[in-house]
Amino acid sequence: MATMRWTILIAFAATLSPSLAQDYASRLTAVAYDGAMRANVQGDGHVSARLDGNRLTVTGDFVGLPSDAISVKLYTGPGIGVPGPSIYDLALDGTRAGRISGSVTLNEKALVALKQGHLYLQLNSQRAPDGNLWGWLLPQHDFAGSDVPEAGQGFLPQLDVPGNWTEK
Amino acid sequence: MREWIWIGATLVGLGIAPSSAQTAQAPFTTAQAAAGRTAYAADCASCHQANLSGSGEQPALAGASFMAAWGRRPIRDFYADISANMPYGRAGSLDAATYQAITAFVMVANGAHPSSVAFDGTQTTPIGSIANGQIPADIAKPKAPRVDAARAPAMRLGQTLVGDIKNYTPVTDAMLVHPDPKDWLIYRGNYQAHSHSALDQINAGNVVQLQLKWSWAMNEGGENATGPTIHDGVMFLANTSNTVQALDARTGELLWENRLGPIATRAYSALRSLAVYQDKVYINATDAKLYALDAKTGKVAWETDIALPGRGFNETGGVIVAHGKVIVGLTLCRGQMPHCYISAYDAQTGAQVWKFTTIADKGTPGGDTWGDVPDDMRAGGETWIAGSYDPELHLTYWGTAQSKPWMQASRRSGTAATLYANSTLALDVDTGKLKWYFSHAPGETFDLDEVFERVLIDHGAQKTLMTIGKAGILWKLDRVTGKFIAARQTVFQNVYDGIDKKTGRLSFRPDVLAQKTNTWISACPSAAGGHDWPPTSYDQKNDLMIIPLDQSCNLMRGHDVAQHTGSVQTEGEERVFFMPGTDGNMGRLAAYHTADMKPVWSFQQRAPFLTGVLSTDGDVSFVGDYDRVFRAVETTTGKTLWTVRLPTVVQGNPVSFAVDGKQYIAITTGLGGGSPFAKPSSMLGELHHPDHGQALYVFALPDQVK
Repeated sequence: MATMRWTILIAFAATLSPSLAQDYASRLTAVAYDGAMRANVQGDGHVSARLDGNRLTVTGDFVGLPSDAISVKLYTGPGIGVPGPSIYDLALDGTRAGRISGSVTLNEKALVALKQGHLYLQLNSQRAPDGNLWGWLLPQHDFAGSDVPEAGQGFLPQLDVPGNWTEK
Repeated sequence: MREWIWIGATLVGLGIAPSSAQTAQAPFTTAQAAAGRTAYAADCASCHQANLSGSGEQPALAGASFMAAWGRRPIRDFYADISANMPYGRAGSLDAATYQAITAFVMVANGAHPSSVAFDGTQTTPIGSIANGQIPADIAKPKAPRVDAARAPAMRLGQTLVGDIKNYTPVTDAMLVHPDPKDWLIYRGNYQAHSHSALDQINAGNVVQLQLKWSWAMNEGGENATGPTIHDGVMFLANTSNTVQALDARTGELLWENRLGPIATRAYSALRSLAVYQDKVYINATDAKLYALDAKTGKVAWETDIALPGRGFNETGGVIVAHGKVIVGLTLCRGQMPHCYISAYDAQTGAQVWKFTTIADKGTPGGDTWGDVPDDMRAGGETWIAGSYDPELHLTYWGTAQSKPWMQASRRSGTAATLYANSTLALDVDTGKLKWYFSHAPGETFDLDEVFERVLIDHGAQKTLMTIGKAGILWKLDRVTGKFIAARQTVFQNVYDGIDKKTGRLSFRPDVLAQKTNTWISACPSAAGGHDWPPTSYDQKNDLMIIPLDQSCNLMRGHDVAQHTGSVQTEGEERVFFMPGTDGNMGRLAAYHTADMKPVWSFQQRAPFLTGVLSTDGDVSFVGDYDRVFRAVETTTGKTLWTVRLPTVVQGNPVSFAVDGKQYIAITTGLGGGSPFAKPSSMLGELHHPDHGQALYVFALPDQVK
């Protein structure tokens, strides 16, 4: 665990240098829903993102939407798991299943948001125009796999992504 | 029913409307509403109450709170919501016509009037255009309590089998202080709540040979999240519907049974534990009564009311017996007077010895921590799990639930501590006098209570208390003074953005502090908690605390609250989502050294864990989950050594005991159980389980171990 934290911190520091890339990833799952919304926010997906300098390149895929995808965008909020406004459009290829891609130049505020894990991707669909799937872009990290124990406590975003927790 | 239809028909016929706010034609018929009333009584009223006022986590379905949540949404959304999630524990089990009828009745309960147009589940009429939240008098105050008779199992109450247990050895104070490993005398194994067995016959090398020795079907119709108590080869079981049974722990033979009642319906009916002391078995019933039963016969020795009958109080957390007193909490306190309290009773007579109220009123110590909130609007502070006890310090330790309404903006108390909610309480066992308290989360605002097990661990001369609440923060306190020692986060949480390492005071994320009513705010973990009622286990030999954890998030929206006595509920609604960084896994099991709070191992899986953890001296720990898997893991590594798939959700508290030199492991399956059960029901649609099958299973090694 300690090794992973150092790896992430070093990678975070490396993003300050335009010559080194940083990888991010997210699983796309249903946006926040209640029972009335449930039928319209099904589906699954994955995205990977690479930050090179302030250029973020995103690729991903999705499956199982209950209605056709209409847009996919990057959003930012005041915390990991905290929704907010959209800031960049990405490209969509497919309807109920398909691919996501895009390359955007992040402004300074968005760059900080990404490094703090506050940037997320949201896919909107016809019957869920305000959100069908979403996922927060967090530093690429190892996952031992379901049911497989790992030493330490594994990846905890508020501890492993800088800027989300302070002790004084 | 006929009377109601007449009233409804008359009102419609006369064109009398309770509010001018209703402008649109209500898309449902009188017949649908009447059918819905019957269906509501059968399938909904046990949780949401006959007058639709809600209870505990179950929201109100009529009145201002309902209109705040649903007034702007189309009627089909409400229908879709209940069709997807209800009834609790049996989501989607009713037919479409019944869901439509219940929808119609709920609209009537909010002041809407039937029309000639039948509701078919597709109409988009805004609820606020047909209903105004004004509850008709016959619904607001039903003439008689409406029991959901259609769903309650047919059951004759009373003692069905009188026992005659020979050679029963009375349980002494000394036995409770130093339990024999062959017994399981206290619901968490010992006074320190370690949930650990010193038995080692079953170990990491042979656990794979475990086999079922006997099983026992438990009552259906209520929640089940219990764990048996064992003494001298006799197992005492807190079955649902407030049924107490004594079983031969070796064979499963019934020795006596007393069906105390009331018959369980669905919500808040899980009895987590019972207690044994001297020649009696002690149990709280869900209607807030306390019983002492003769351990040999099952006959009632004495009974007493923990709280005033008929006021809606409830108790499911179980009891402990310490220094000759039966100590019990109280739940479902909704801003009425008196508030919730912890109380102690003489074990021999049932006479109340002391009472400690967990909500501070104006003019009492801590009363100024609620700001200007009137006394009769101060709610919460329930005790969902029985406390622990330090015989040397003479203190009993209890956790308390959050204050209500859930959200600061609804509660109007800001970040004030709202004592003694969300606190650890150290009470003198003989007087109930408060020795110290520690407020874990002053101003808590997302139903992230800190009410669960208090585990007492000595680190050399340092006497500590460790606990973990819904925020998933593992706390270590000095249990002599209540002073903060350390804290460790165990799951992703985003509600707090920092901690004062000297005091343990948490700081909120800024947008949480800026909250307003009727606005969605994000919280991880969700109200299911990073940790909830399934308790931890402490293995002293390895200094490992093994913690069942739960990973989900929610948006929460608080409502404005009607300001009248007894009106205080949760006043919030939720939308759930998967926790970032978990790859869709809701379950996490993790082990921590308690001396330095460092993590040792963890693993994740799709299904959350819904049992407590049992560790043993055989270096094997047991835990069960929502996906029907009961498993043994190696205590020091977390590696799964053995699994068995049981008929329905594995829920309760595993225990270990021995009879005639043979070690057994017992576990229950069960439904219900509050948010930790409801969240996966909503989010993990690919995991299926029967909506029945509550039972007890007892495992052991083969008689000839290989």
